[in-house]
Amino acid sequence: MPRSARTVSVLVVVLALLMLLPLVGGDYYIYIFALVFINVILAASLRPSLTCGQLNIGHSAFMCIGAYTSALLAKNLGVPFEVSLLCGAILAAAVGLAIGYPSLRLRGVYFAMVTVAFVEAIRLIASIWVPLTRGNAGLSGVPKPSVLGMTLSTKTSQYYLALFLMLVVLVILYKLEQSRLGLVWKSIGMADNLAQSLGVNIANYKLLAFSLGCFFAGVAGAFYAHFIRFLFPPEFGFLLATNILIYNFVGGRGHFAGPIVGAAFLSLLSEPFRGSPYETIFYSIVMLLTILFLPGGLVTLPGKLAGLRWWKSVSTPSPSPAA
Amino acid sequence: MTGALFVQSAVIGLSIGSIYILMALGLTLMFGMMHIINFAHGAIYMLGAFVIYYVYFQWGAPYFAAFVLAMLLLGAGGYLVERSIYRPIKGGIEPTLVALLALTTLLQAAGYPIFGTLDKHVPPVFSGTRNVLGVMISAERLMIIPVAVVLVVSLYLFINKTRMGAAMRAIEQDKEAAALQGVNVNVINGLAFAVGFALAAAAGALMAPIFKLDPMMGEQPLLKAFIIIILGGLGSIPGAILGGLILGLIDSIVATALGAEPAFLLSFVFIILLLLFRPTGLFGHAP
Repeated sequence: MPRSARTVSVLVVVLALLMLLPLVGGDYYIYIFALVFINVILAASLRPSLTCGQLNIGHSAFMCIGAYTSALLAKNLGVPFEVSLLCGAILAAAVGLAIGYPSLRLRGVYFAMVTVAFVEAIRLIASIWVPLTRGNAGLSGVPKPSVLGMTLSTKTSQYYLALFLMLVVLVILYKLEQSRLGLVWKSIGMADNLAQSLGVNIANYKLLAFSLGCFFAGVAGAFYAHFIRFLFPPEFGFLLATNILIYNFVGGRGHFAGPIVGAAFLSLLSEPFRGSPYETIFYSIVMLLTILFLPGGLVTLPGKLAGLRWWKSVSTPSPSPAA
Repeated sequence: MTGALFVQSAVIGLSIGSIYILMALGLTLMFGMMHIINFAHGAIYMLGAFVIYYVYFQWGAPYFAAFVLAMLLLGAGGYLVERSIYRPIKGGIEPTLVALLALTTLLQAAGYPIFGTLDKHVPPVFSGTRNVLGVMISAERLMIIPVAVVLVVSLYLFINKTRMGAAMRAIEQDKEAAALQGVNVNVINGLAFAVGFALAAAAGALMAPIFKLDPMMGEQPLLKAFIIIILGGLGSIPGAILGGLILGLIDSIVATALGAEPAFLLSFVFIILLLLFRPTGLFGHAP
């Protein structure tokens, strides 16, 4: 079977399984998988920036902005979900532009340090602006998501909304990566001096990749706010931002499927100890082992195993045709 | 703000600034040689403080011995990290940074089951207060300043007067040329890791009797150190010292007037403005 046909059939099967899941699994699985979809959006939206060679260690801050914007608009002003989600995403992208503009023109480590500090700044704002965000007491009573005026009150309907959002985001990001824009991003990541000498305005393209990622992180945050219905500033800290990076590096940087595989693999495997320190310990150890022993990430694992079989078949003496 | 309050926050700023300088020096040294930012610096600060908690407070060893032990243990840890993480990755900057991030979250998260979830406190080492310019300052905070000065001066002498320090400077200027002159780049990089980690451990050990101890305690000093090295210019040691003094003073005075959170937000806004208008930092040269 040709490669592309095999990829398509794998995609169809996975999608069919995800569509059927609510019919088979209980509320628990629906809840877990909706969270996985949010993580997949977060991980995939970091990819354009990483492709440009920019280490964004502050993605959770933009999720936080999207979450609080959407939640507050819906809760205090009664704005419909579709509009509040879009507002959250746009504000996240706008803040991304404001942070990225000064820091992306410099070498990568400046950007990395600024994003780490930014996570802390946003977390502090969310904790001390008590009249608006209720601070560390947490923002509760966020309305459930609604579509075209209909409230999605069951977890099953919210699951399908999450699946839909994830598919839309993934299709957009995939199309962008396949387009000329994706090629430009890749060229910046591989050799920014060369790209610049060929007339690419690298600062602007990096900024575009970064704020686009912030936009989709805002989308993920907005859905999260209306799905969990409770927002707590420390949840959007440095740890979540590191996890989003870890999804990308464990999954693999070289392929569009990398962050998706990484997010799904890690979120599902760490489910038994979600929220405890052991989850973080697990993530960190998997990350260190991956970087040291499988630098291409999980997506390169099938190829490596195939290579292993090939090596074995060569090393075992095979009957020669001459005999 | 009255004069006395100003003097008090200035002296406290000087002592906090000394801690920031110890953190920033290791970061800037490692950046200058290897072009990496050691995200694990905050976690090492935390471990330094916990060495004091166990060795000085729980086991009753003298404070000075515990302090030296913290520096030696974590310095050795720094060499091991170079050996087992930095060297195998072979200079890929992005994977190294992510591996150091993972090391940070690993050490922080492992702190909860190992050290317990309750905040720890270390009893004061130097009790009482001293009179400085007519203002009473706790001896504990005051003692930080001479210790930090000794460490900074020894680092300066080490880098400028010893053969190993010369090798470090050579790597900073040109790694390949240094290797061609017979500098063992791997060992000297490991030494830089060890020195950086030992300085972070010293900072944590000095702060242990003053602040409460918990596994996340290193995050704030790490962020401050980032701000300092951006302020002073990446890779610049004088920049790190001056940046640390400036940030310590501003931080303490603003925090006394407005509170700690606005002080941090203000320094963040300041950094963004600095990157807009003077991206090489206050003392850095053009890259």
